[in-house]
Amino acid sequence: MDIKISALQFTREVKSGNLSAEEFMAKTLEQIQKVEEKLHAFLSLNDNALKQAKEIDKKIKLGQKIGKCFGMPISIKDNICIKDTKTTCASKMLENFVAPYDATVITKLKQQDAIFVGKVNLDEFAMGLTTEFSAYGPSRNPWNTDYVPGGSSGGSAVSVSAFECVASLGSDTGGSVRNPASFCSTVGYKPTYGLISRYGLISYANSIEQIGPLTRTVEDTAFMLNLISGIDSNDDTTVDNHGEDYLKNIDSGIEGKKIGIIKEMIGDGIDPAVLSATKDAISKLEGLGAKCEEMSLDMVKYSVAAYYTITATEAGSNLARYDNLRYGYDFSVEGYEFNSYIEKARKKLGPEVTRRMILGGFVPSAGHAGKYFLKALKVKNKLTRQINDAFKKFDLLIAPTVPILPFKIGEKIDDPVALFLVDINTVTANLTGKPAISIPFAISHGLPIGIQLIANSMDDKLLLQAAHALEKTVKLPEVPI
Amino acid sequence: MVTQKEIQHVAKLMKIELIDPSIYERVDKMLGYFDILDSAGVESEEIIFREIPITNLREDKYIPYNEKLIEKLNHYKGTYVRAPKMV
Repeated sequence: MDIKISALQFTREVKSGNLSAEEFMAKTLEQIQKVEEKLHAFLSLNDNALKQAKEIDKKIKLGQKIGKCFGMPISIKDNICIKDTKTTCASKMLENFVAPYDATVITKLKQQDAIFVGKVNLDEFAMGLTTEFSAYGPSRNPWNTDYVPGGSSGGSAVSVSAFECVASLGSDTGGSVRNPASFCSTVGYKPTYGLISRYGLISYANSIEQIGPLTRTVEDTAFMLNLISGIDSNDDTTVDNHGEDYLKNIDSGIEGKKIGIIKEMIGDGIDPAVLSATKDAISKLEGLGAKCEEMSLDMVKYSVAAYYTITATEAGSNLARYDNLRYGYDFSVEGYEFNSYIEKARKKLGPEVTRRMILGGFVPSAGHAGKYFLKALKVKNKLTRQINDAFKKFDLLIAPTVPILPFKIGEKIDDPVALFLVDINTVTANLTGKPAISIPFAISHGLPIGIQLIANSMDDKLLLQAAHALEKTVKLPEVPI
Repeated sequence: MVTQKEIQHVAKLMKIELIDPSIYERVDKMLGYFDILDSAGVESEEIIFREIPITNLREDKYIPYNEKLIEKLNHYKGTYVRAPKMV
C-alpha cells in the first residue's frame, strides 16, 4: 500500500473501497514510528486514531453516510484547540493545558470524518520561523535533517513532507505556513484574512494571523479550503464566501492573466539558486499564456519592521493571560504576593516569547508609540494601498516564498535581525490581508525552493487556479527520508 | 538605543523577571532594526482601522455548557479562582 498519495486520491480510494482507512492509518502510524526519532514533527499522537479509522471502514461497509475526508489522517499544529486534547503551543507554560472545546476548523473537519493523527511542533506560541524556539526541541527538515524545516508551522510541513499524514493545518502570522512549506517542499496556503475562522486558534497577533492548510498538491489545498472556510458566528472577523467551491474549475489555467513580479522581493540578499528558480517559474507562467511584468511595492522594505512591531504589540497583550491562574504551570498560590507569583509563572515562557513580550510592552508605550507602533500601522496602511493599486493592473503577484535556501539548525538562532529578514517576502500578504500560496518548485543542493503567488482579497479561487497551473509544470524528486 | 533601565521598567510592568542578561543586547538589536521605520516617509499617512459593525455580532445569550470549567483550573474554591494576595 502506498501512503505517498494526495488527499484527493486517498478519499477517492477509500470511497471506492480500494483502500481501507484502517490499513492506511496503520501504515501512517508505522511511518511516524519510523521517522519521528529523526524528524520530531509531533508533540503528541492520537491514541484512538486506529480505532477511529476502523469505525470509518465499518460505516462504509454498512453504507452509512460518511464525511468527505473518509478518515483521512491530518496533523494539527499544536496551537489549534481539539477538545480534551493537550494544546501546548510548544510552550512549557501550557504543558498541561487540555482544551475544553474544539476550534471551528476542528469542528468542521470532525463533521467530515477527518482523523487527527496528532498535534505537531511549532515555535513556542508560533513566534519564530525555524521551530528552533519550540520548548520541546526543534523539528528537522526531511530533505536534510541538519537543516531547519522552517516555521513556525514546521511540524505541519515536516509531517506532510515525510508522509506522516496526508494534510495538516498550520497558522500563518507572517509566513508561518508558507515558509515551512517552501523549506519542506509542500504546498502552503495563507487565505484571505477572514476566510477561515480563527476561533480556537490560540492568539498571537489576531489582526493578521490565519489558519491555513499544508498539503501535497494545490488540489488538496482547494479541497481543504472547501471544508474549513466560511463565516463563523464565533469569529466576527470571518467573511462570507457564499459557499465557494475552490476545487471546481481549478484547471482553468492562467492564459491572459497579468502577473506582477515584485522587484523588492528578488533584490539584495537573494540566493542565486532562488533567483534562478523564480526566473524559471516566471518563464513557465509566460509559457502558459500569462503576461509577467516587473513592478514595485516600495513599502516592502519596511514591512518586516512594521510586522514585528505590530505582532509584538498584539503578542504582549495576548500573552498577558498566562498568569498561572487561568492557564499555566501548576504551583501553589500560598506564600506568594500577586506580582511575584505571576513573575514566577512567566519564567516558564521561553526566551523568544519573553523577548517579544518585552518588545510588545515597549513599542506601543507612552513616549515610544509614535516612533514604533503608530509608524508601523502607517506603513501597513501605505503597503495595503500600494498592493490594492497593484491589483488594479495585475491579477496576481509573484516572488520566491523565501529569498534564501533552508539553513542549518543553529545557524541563525543568535542573530534576531538575520532571522527577521527571512520573513521579507511573506509578511506583505499578512499585513495587507491578501491570500498567498507557496508552491514547491525546485530543489537546489538537495534543498527545496518554493514560489509564492499572491492574489487580491477574496480572489482565492483565482490564486489556486494559477498555483495549480504552475504546479503542473513541475516534477520534483521524492523526499529522501 | 534603549537603556537597560527602560527594558527593566517595561519588564516590571509586564510582570516578567529578567534572568538572561543577553536579553538587553537582543532587544536593543531588534529595536535598532525597527529604526528603519523612521525612513519610511509615512508621517503624513493616516491610520485606518478596520471597522466591524456591532450589528453583526452574534446574539449575546447564555449557552449552557455541560462541564464545570472551573474544575479544570488547578486552584479554585467553590466558584472562585484562588489567587495570591494582592496587598
